[in-house]
Amino acid sequence: MIEVEGSLKRRLGGWLVVTVGVLGLALMVEAWVSSQRAAARAFDAQLQAAALTIAEAVRWQDGVPQVVVPAAALQILATDSQARVFYAVLDDDGRALSRNWPVDIPAAWQQALDEGGMSRDLTTALGELRLHAQRVASAGWVTQLPVQVWVGHTLEGRRALARSLFERSLSRFVAMVLLTGVLMGLTMRAALSPLRRLRRQIRERSADDFSPLAARVPKELLELAQALNHLFARQRQGREDLLRFTADASHQLKTPLAGLKTVSELGLRSSDPDEWRQALTRVHARAEDTSRLAGQLLSLARLRHLDQETALPALDLGALVREVALDWAARERAAEHDLGLGSLPAEPLKVRVEAWALREALGNLIDNALRYTPRGCQVTLHLAREGDWARLSIVDDGPGVADAALATLGQPFQRGGRQDTEGSGLGLAIVDTTARRMGARVQFANRSPQGLEVVLWLPLAKDEQGVTGALDAAANQ
Amino acid sequence: MTLQSGQRFRPFRCLSARCSVPATRRRLLGRVVSQWLPLSLLMLLVVLLGGCHSEDTSVPTDDDPLVISAALDLDVVAPLLDAFRQAYPQIPLRFEDRTTREVDDSVVGHLEGGQATGEGASRAPDVVISSAMPWQMARVNEGLARRLGGPEIERWPEWARWRDEVFAFTFEPVVMAYRLDLSRHMLPPQTHGDLHALLATQARWLSGKVTTYSPLSSGVGYTLAQQDARYSSRFWELVGAMGRADTRLETTTRAMLEGLSQGRYWLGYNLLGSYAMVYAQEHPEVIVQVPRDYSLVLMRMAFVHRDAPHVEAAETFVKFLLSQRGQRVLAGQTPLFSVLPGVTGPYTAARLRTQVGERLYPILPNATLLAFVDPARREAFTDHWRARFQGEPALDEAVERSSGALAPE
Repeated sequence: MIEVEGSLKRRLGGWLVVTVGVLGLALMVEAWVSSQRAAARAFDAQLQAAALTIAEAVRWQDGVPQVVVPAAALQILATDSQARVFYAVLDDDGRALSRNWPVDIPAAWQQALDEGGMSRDLTTALGELRLHAQRVASAGWVTQLPVQVWVGHTLEGRRALARSLFERSLSRFVAMVLLTGVLMGLTMRAALSPLRRLRRQIRERSADDFSPLAARVPKELLELAQALNHLFARQRQGREDLLRFTADASHQLKTPLAGLKTVSELGLRSSDPDEWRQALTRVHARAEDTSRLAGQLLSLARLRHLDQETALPALDLGALVREVALDWAARERAAEHDLGLGSLPAEPLKVRVEAWALREALGNLIDNALRYTPRGCQVTLHLAREGDWARLSIVDDGPGVADAALATLGQPFQRGGRQDTEGSGLGLAIVDTTARRMGARVQFANRSPQGLEVVLWLPLAKDEQGVTGALDAAANQ
Repeated sequence: MTLQSGQRFRPFRCLSARCSVPATRRRLLGRVVSQWLPLSLLMLLVVLLGGCHSEDTSVPTDDDPLVISAALDLDVVAPLLDAFRQAYPQIPLRFEDRTTREVDDSVVGHLEGGQATGEGASRAPDVVISSAMPWQMARVNEGLARRLGGPEIERWPEWARWRDEVFAFTFEPVVMAYRLDLSRHMLPPQTHGDLHALLATQARWLSGKVTTYSPLSSGVGYTLAQQDARYSSRFWELVGAMGRADTRLETTTRAMLEGLSQGRYWLGYNLLGSYAMVYAQEHPEVIVQVPRDYSLVLMRMAFVHRDAPHVEAAETFVKFLLSQRGQRVLAGQTPLFSVLPGVTGPYTAARLRTQVGERLYPILPNATLLAFVDPARREAFTDHWRARFQGEPALDEAVERSSGALAPE
C-alpha cells in the first residue's frame, strides 16, 4: 500500500520558507540597525557642519566674543526634512552669547565638553532632540575665552532617512526572496526530472520485461535504480524458476506415466493371469512412486506459495529430531542403512517454526541421505547450539557430491549429478524452500575422507536465547 | 499696518465687504449670523453636542469666537473673511488687525501671565497671520504651531510651507514707488543701481524726499533689509546713499504711500507691492515700479496656534485660506496674490511672473529666517545699518560678509 506523505516540492518549499524566514529576520534586524546608524551618521555630520559654520562666525569686538549666526548654518541644521533647529553659543561660564535654545543644557555636559566635540540625545517638550556641541578656542588680543557651540535638531530627518534606507533594503530582500523562489522552483523541476524520466520508463515497460533499467540517473537515485534492477532480476529469476519447475515437473511426471503405460500395455497384450498380476504389481509400485512424486511436487508448490505470517508456538527442536529419527528408523527404507542419533544438547532448544514443515524438511533430508548412499552407510543426526542458532546436521559417509554441484543442490530436480538414482530431485529443493520460510539456512558440505553433511541453521526463538545462552556456553566448554 | 480711523486708504473692491464687516476692531463679527434663527438653533445643537464631548475643542460662540490675530489690513482681507463666513456661517469670527509686534506678543502673551497688551492676552489666538516672516518662523520652531493635514495641505506648494505647520499664503512683491512729478526732473529709477546713482547725483533734489521701511522699528523693514543685504553687499552703499539723502523712515507701507500722494515724499523704496499697486490704481500721481534687476517677494504666513481654544474651527479657517475657494477669493478680490497653482484671477503669483519676469526673489519660509531673529545678529545688523545710514564707513565687515553670504556676485 502506497501512502502519499507530503510532497517533495512542498517540503523543499517549506524549508526554503523557514530558512528564508529565519535568515530574513536576522537580515531585517541588521538592516534596521545599520540604516539607523547610517542615518545617524549622515545627520550627525550635518550637525557638525552647522556647528563649525556657527563657530566660524564667532568674532571679537571690544574684548568680548560675539557671534552673528549665519543663516546658512540654520539651513544646514534644518536639513531637507524641515527639522526644528536649535542653537546656543555659550561662553565657558554658561552665559549665552546667542541662543534660541528652549531648555537648559545640563551643566555636566557643558563641563565635559572638550575640543573633540560631543553628541547627545535630549528629550524636551518639543520631542527628542539630537545635540552636537563643539568647543571652540577663540582668542582676542587681550583675553582668551573658549566658547561652546551647541546645535541640535529634531529627529524627523533621521527617521525619514532611516525609514527610506530600511525600505530600500527591505524591497531588495523581498525581490531576492521572490527570485530565489522562482529559481528554486526551476531548480526543483530540473532536479526532479531524472525521477520523472525513471517513472516514465517504468510505466512504459511491458509486463514481462525484466531487463535491467537503462537510464541516466543522478547519484542520489542510483540506489533506487539498483534496487529496481535487483527486483527485476529476482522477478526474472523467479519466473525462470517457475518455468523450469513446471517443465521439470511435467517431465518427471511424464517418465513414470510412460512406464505405467508401457507396463499396462504389456500386461493387456498377454492373456496370462500371472503376467497380469506381475504387471499390476509393477503398476502399483510405479503408481506409488508417482504419487509420492506428486506429493512432493505438491508440498513444494504449497511451501513456495504459503505466505501468511502467524505467531507460532515455540517447539523443542531436540524432541522433534528424536521423534523423527525414531520414526524413520522404524521404516523399511532405513533397514539397510545405519540411521542413528548423534550428540543432542542437554537443554531444550526452542524454535518458532511450523512443526509439519520442519518434519517435512527433516524427512526429506533423511530420505535423501538414504536414497543417495549405498547400503550399509551410516546416517547420523546431530543437534547443537551455536550462539543464537540451532545447528541441525545430517551426516552420511556416502560418496558425497561433486564440488561443482554443491551450489545447485537446493534447486529442484538437481540430483547432485546423480541421475542414476530413483529420486525425484525435489527433496533438497523442498528442504531449501522450507528452510527459507522458517528463516533458516541450509548448508551443504563434503566431508573428508568421504560423505556429505547437510546443515540446517535454525534461528532460536528470541525469548529463549537469553535464558539458555549461559547454560549453553557452559555446556560447550 | 494697523487700520486706524480716519485713514483715507481704501483698497479697491472693498465696498461689498464693508457693509458686513464692522470697521471697529473688537466688535463681534458673528452678530450678523445670529440673526438667522435656524442657524442659531443648529449652533445650539452643535454646542450641546460639543459639550458632551470635550471642553478643549469647543466650538466658537458669539461670546467666545474664533480669534484671528493678524498683521494684515482688515480692509484688504475683508472679502476673504466674508467668503469664509458664507461658507461656515456657524463659526463666529473675530479678526484682530494688529502690528507685527503685537501679533508676535499675542502668540506668547498667554504664556507670560497676561502681560501683553489687549484683551486677548489671557488666551491664545486661534490663528496667527503675520508678514514678519522670521518671527513667525521662530514661533513655529519653538513648537507653538499645530501641524495640519488634509487634502488642502497636501495640495499646497511644498516651497510655501514649513513642517506642515506654517503656510506662506500670499506673494507680495516689494517695489519702489515714485511721484509722477519725479519723472519731470530725472529719469525714474528702474533698478537698485539706478536708485543708488540717483541718490548720488540728485541728492539736492531728493534730500528729505525719499522714504523707506525702518529696519530699526519695523519687523517687515528689518526682514527686507536683511534679505537685501544677503543678495548684494552693494546694498550697504545704497544705505549710505539713503542716509546722505536724509531718507525718512516709516513703519508702514500706507504711511509711505500717503506721503507720496501728499507730496511729502517723491521716492519710496521697499514698499509692499500688494498695497502699493492697489493704491496706485486710485492715485494716478503715484507710480509703482517693480525693480528690474531683482524684486524681493514677501509671503505672509499663517499658522494655527498650538494652544488655540477652538482647534477645529481654526483648522477649518486655515484650510479654507489654503483651499481653491479661499485662494480664488484671494486672487480675485484682494491684492495679496495667490501662490496656489491653477487659481485664476488678477492677483496670482503666476500672472505676476509673466508680467514682471523671472526677477522675483521670494523670501521663502525656511530655517534661514531664524537667523534674522537672533538678538545678537539683529543687534549687530541694526547697529551696522544705523552706522552706514549715518554716514560712517564700513565698521563691521563681518556683518557685511555674513549677511552677504548669498550674494550672487
